[in-house]
Amino acid sequence: MGSSLAERLIEELNCETVFTIHLGSLEIPVMESVVVTWIVMAVLILLAIFLTRDLKTQNISKRQAFAELVYEKLTGIVGGMLGEEGKIYTGYLTTVLLYIGLSNIIGLFGFKSPTKDLNVTAALALMSIVLVEFAGIYQNGVKKWLHKFTEPVAIVTPFNILDVFTRPLSLCMRLFGNVLGAFVIMELLKIVCPPVIPAVFSLYFDLFDGLLQAYVFVFLTSLYIKEAVE
Amino acid sequence: MITVSFWNILWTVVNLLVLFIAFRIFFFKPIAAIIAKRQEEANEAFKAAQAKEDEAEAKSLQCDERIAQVEQEKKQILSEARKSADEQYQHIVAEARANASEIKTAAATEANREKEQIIASAKKEIANIIVDATTKVVGGQTGAEVDSNLFDEFIGKAGE
Repeated sequence: MGSSLAERLIEELNCETVFTIHLGSLEIPVMESVVVTWIVMAVLILLAIFLTRDLKTQNISKRQAFAELVYEKLTGIVGGMLGEEGKIYTGYLTTVLLYIGLSNIIGLFGFKSPTKDLNVTAALALMSIVLVEFAGIYQNGVKKWLHKFTEPVAIVTPFNILDVFTRPLSLCMRLFGNVLGAFVIMELLKIVCPPVIPAVFSLYFDLFDGLLQAYVFVFLTSLYIKEAVE
Repeated sequence: MITVSFWNILWTVVNLLVLFIAFRIFFFKPIAAIIAKRQEEANEAFKAAQAKEDEAEAKSLQCDERIAQVEQEKKQILSEARKSADEQYQHIVAEARANASEIKTAAATEANREKEQIIASAKKEIANIIVDATTKVVGGQTGAEVDSNLFDEFIGKAGE
């Protein structure tokens, strides 16, 4: 049983190449996580189109009221974390929040969460750090941005430079580790004591933790941005 | 799982950018636009209401002013009318007075004239009587008889 459990886990965790695009001599593999991401994207975009159809200023439908509520709440939360100067990045971070949130809980519908693939979380973290540094340069100019590395005292400069790499690494690993850990625990629970107990834990690990990690990711990124644009 | 694949990272980056742009187009922009539009409409409605209120207030002020003006006019007209009526009255009275005094004077003159006429005619009559009487006396008797006759005649004529 031990070996079969390990095999199943590895099978579940492996991200397989679904198909390969041949572009001349270039071979572009399309992984499972990318395909599931497309599904997530499709769901989110269709939902967005459905919710924002036929918008009115008066006598609004329930659908529009819901859309506006979601919009106001999400941009309110993210915008609040970003602060006044970082407000322009609200749109991107709200998108990321929705994407990670849905990616984390899409496992409930039988798909492999894209965030279970290290490459996806790495890409997310990469984009976050690019955005953070870009925001710093855009807001303060190159000179001030460089000078910030020597603050508050010159001696911390190496650590500040290190931050540029450790921050995305921690973002990437935290998200990936949490999703992976939750998945492993859930798989173990399903095998060890079915059927009721896993459902209860699933609420925490799949639903709550998934949304929490999405929030944490966005929260930390916006914190970095806020720090960078100060 | 933990094999790093350049293509996978690139795919995810592209996917995220596409998702972000799609969300901008289909979610953030329309909702932000509709909220802004509603805000604008509300502002406009508020402004219009404010304008209407101001207008009403101005109109009310105007009306008050007009009423005061009319009141003033009324007073003026009334006082003018009163004045003119008074003048008319005075005039009529004065005229009447003048008329009356004229009539009185005319009447007095007439009366005087008549009186004088009467007196004149009476004098004439008396003179005639005297002449008659004298003629009769002188033509009739003489002496005491004459005197007595004359006297009787006189008395008789005077008694007539």
